[in-house]
Amino acid sequence: MDMSLLALTLRIALAATLFNIPLALAVSWLVVKKKVRGRLIIDVVVSLPLAVPPVVVGFFLLLVLGRDGPVGALAYRLLGTDIVFTWVAAAIASAVMSFPLMARSIMVAMGDVDERLEMSARSLGAGPWRAAYTVTIPLAYRGIAAGILLGFVRALSEFGATITVAGNIPDRTQTLALAIFSNVQLREDAAAMRLAAVSIALAVATLLVHNWLVTRAARRG
Amino acid sequence: MNQPILSFEITKRYPGFSLECQAAFESGITAVFGPSGSGKTTLLNCLAGLVAPDEGTIEVLGETVFSSSLRRNLPPERRRFGYVFQDAALFPHMSVWDNIRYGYRLTTAERRNTDLEQLVDLFQLADLLDRGVSGLSGGERQRVALARALATSPRVLLLDEPLASLDAEFQGLIVRYLRRTVRELDTPMVFVSHSMSHVLALAQSVLVLSDGKPVVQGRPAEVLAHPNAGAMSVYSTLENLIDAEVASLRADEEMAELRVGHVTLSVPDPGYSPGDLVTISLRASDIILAVDTPSKTSARNVVVGMIEEVRARGTRVLVYIDIGARIVAEITLGALQDLGLQEGGQVYLIIKSTSVVVLDSPSNGPRRDDV
Repeated sequence: MDMSLLALTLRIALAATLFNIPLALAVSWLVVKKKVRGRLIIDVVVSLPLAVPPVVVGFFLLLVLGRDGPVGALAYRLLGTDIVFTWVAAAIASAVMSFPLMARSIMVAMGDVDERLEMSARSLGAGPWRAAYTVTIPLAYRGIAAGILLGFVRALSEFGATITVAGNIPDRTQTLALAIFSNVQLREDAAAMRLAAVSIALAVATLLVHNWLVTRAARRG
Repeated sequence: MNQPILSFEITKRYPGFSLECQAAFESGITAVFGPSGSGKTTLLNCLAGLVAPDEGTIEVLGETVFSSSLRRNLPPERRRFGYVFQDAALFPHMSVWDNIRYGYRLTTAERRNTDLEQLVDLFQLADLLDRGVSGLSGGERQRVALARALATSPRVLLLDEPLASLDAEFQGLIVRYLRRTVRELDTPMVFVSHSMSHVLALAQSVLVLSDGKPVVQGRPAEVLAHPNAGAMSVYSTLENLIDAEVASLRADEEMAELRVGHVTLSVPDPGYSPGDLVTISLRASDIILAVDTPSKTSARNVVVGMIEEVRARGTRVLVYIDIGARIVAEITLGALQDLGLQEGGQVYLIIKSTSVVVLDSPSNGPRRDDV
């Protein structure tokens, strides 16, 4: 078992997840609590990567992150380096693909917090931020953690968008999922099976923690 | 009388309903009365800053907290209004003590007019402080919510149906706590209610809302006689909620003597000890009035009082009588004419012992004792 493969996979999934957490919290808060105008559209946009073929997401990311795209051009000018076909591109692809699962779970968790509790906090002198981190987040905490884990598992197993925008370069962008794909292509069934087992073990472990959190959250509510 | 504590003129439109209300509230306890759907809670939410009116102004103690023309809308945390939700809305992830402390810690020292010790004492919470909130009874939850709101030293305390979600046995208790709060902390209160009995029991002034518009505002006795307002409250269920003290027990008859104002009433003994403070409920229509002492009657209670006020609406008449506490009796217009009752005159009240309902359950325990 190649430890650097596992390390790279975890690094990409972790980076994607850490990037998504503040964004998913903010978007959920806007949609569920702030009830901003156009929240239906936000909801659709958030969920879109779930609904389109991952290769479509990868293709658009390629356009945006490529040297001719807005973000890619800027990065090249400032840092003198490309984003596409690096682990960063893989992390961005994983982030986009796992965002819907994380955000939707967090929305459900936040929506379960009784609005009157937040109103009480406000009338007791707490500003919106304080109400959020003393009432909403502590009460939705397990659901939020479950959503984060769900996003993490999705990022771990990301394939289609990643291969499109980051390629499948051993030691640079090749994650567990991509390595399994290569082994299957090469008819290295034993190697593919070994990596598949690792990937299943990772998923099962994460899902077990996720389910434990969800049950605890339900019992509490 | 006094300067208004709170004055407002607001409009809030929803599809199919709009609230258009102008009024001023003075210190003490003010009730907002109306049937459900009349806009009471919307009004309260607008005052608290939880809902923004479409137009208008809201002033508290001379400070404008909302003004559509000045584009001013202070957020709830800067209005310094206490708000108690109908079901208390306690923070489920905090202990009783942390709930009470939540707003207190957010209140600057120079604005505090009370401390946690006084509140714990006032609402008899010492034994509950370490507990979580999920196991509390309805009455306990309401007491914690009151203490939590008052801990911020609010300029006005707003209460949404503070008694509605409580079992009868806790209503009397909370009524006494609210009266005591006004007495000891001098915090003005505005409470929303759909029960005229609760309004009579607590409020010095009442604003009646119907379909989002104010109908009449005044003392409860005046308002009850008002043709539009009276129509909304069902007279036959009008109850007197009066404080009483258990004076003595007559174990042989299973009766208890209650001291109410300066009279004594016999009631079936619900299991109290002498000295217990309770609240009794007595329907206005269950009281019989007489001008002479009735010599023989099956009713166990014949007490004398002084007529303070007589208010007629149609053929129904409400007679407000001072027996050391204020009590209201409902009679017909014919009876009023036959008896010739006059304000300032003396009258006998005939009350069956079984029509007096003691609202507290003995299981409320010793915490009741020094309220």
